[in-house]
Amino acid sequence: MPDTIDSLDAGPPELVEGIARVVEVAGAVAWLEPEQTTSCGGCAASGACGAKGLGTVANRIAARRFPLVDHPGLRVGERVVVGVRGDALVKAALTAYAVPLVTLFLGGGLAQWGWGQDATTIAGSVGGLFFGLVLARLGAGRLFASGASAPRFLRRVGQAPQTCQII
Amino acid sequence: MQEYVLLMVGAALVNNVILARFLGLCSFMGVTTRVDTAMGMGLATTFVITLSSMLNWAAQEYLLEPFGLDYLRTVVFILVIAGAVQFTEMTVRKVSPPLFQMLGIYLPLITTNCAVLGVALLLIEGKLTFIQSTLFAFASSVGYSLVMVIFAGLRERLALAEVPRLFAGPPIGFITASLLALAFMGFSGISTV
Repeated sequence: MPDTIDSLDAGPPELVEGIARVVEVAGAVAWLEPEQTTSCGGCAASGACGAKGLGTVANRIAARRFPLVDHPGLRVGERVVVGVRGDALVKAALTAYAVPLVTLFLGGGLAQWGWGQDATTIAGSVGGLFFGLVLARLGAGRLFASGASAPRFLRRVGQAPQTCQII
Repeated sequence: MQEYVLLMVGAALVNNVILARFLGLCSFMGVTTRVDTAMGMGLATTFVITLSSMLNWAAQEYLLEPFGLDYLRTVVFILVIAGAVQFTEMTVRKVSPPLFQMLGIYLPLITTNCAVLGVALLLIEGKLTFIQSTLFAFASSVGYSLVMVIFAGLRERLALAEVPRLFAGPPIGFITASLLALAFMGFSGISTV
């Protein structure tokens, strides 16, 4: 059965773009590291701002390395633009963040309703959070089983996009 | 129950984190070029604000207040927030590596978002209970996400509109933001919390 959103779309799905750097090429598989952005989007004071440095250490960009299969002859050091469907990104964020949050509230709410003490509410919330993380794991497995959510190569940085994208 | 509903409406709409308290303005302008990314960013921030506010409430209640260490509040809260963000990253990575990779490429960092610290400080000032604090933090972040998504939708339309050259880019963005803030002033008086 077709996805409801897909069936309403008049044109091809819009892709969310991100920039990554090729760090290793092993046959048909290229390994890429995303270029880390900050939530402020950067500004003229970025040279003196601690946001980028703090985030770079804290998030260990190397751990975010991801493979790109059947790449068009990429070389180490090249910067490329990768894309993923916008609705897939929203689904992934919902799975990772909304599901554990809902179960956290359910656990905390039940504990508050049953015992009415702060300590038990905290314990209930923590229990709900971990239950939600298990659910998120199952949901993520289903989300990625089809492979449609995997990032795909769009173009090398500097090349003009082939479709009209809002930037 | 009515008390909780008013608390949440007040936090989300009346005293909106972005448009009334002017917190998180950097991400408001920086990550609102697309609705999809604004929604993802809103979800991530909602999770982090709610989780870190719960932890900060516990730190205040069981550590800072009993030992008279209130003067260390800001430092401790920043550490707790950094820990909560790190915990979130590690957990998502363990739970689902593909999910972690995908979100890592497209969703920016939220470590240094001042709204996260601002909400934690506000709920301590309000002397709220644990459940009130959690609901306040959640509603505040829902209000943050709501404004992010609305503004991203407006900017997507602005990108296709013919704007006078003098106002193109950030100027028309700021004018739109001010009109959005005026619209949210219509919620004033619904709740005084």
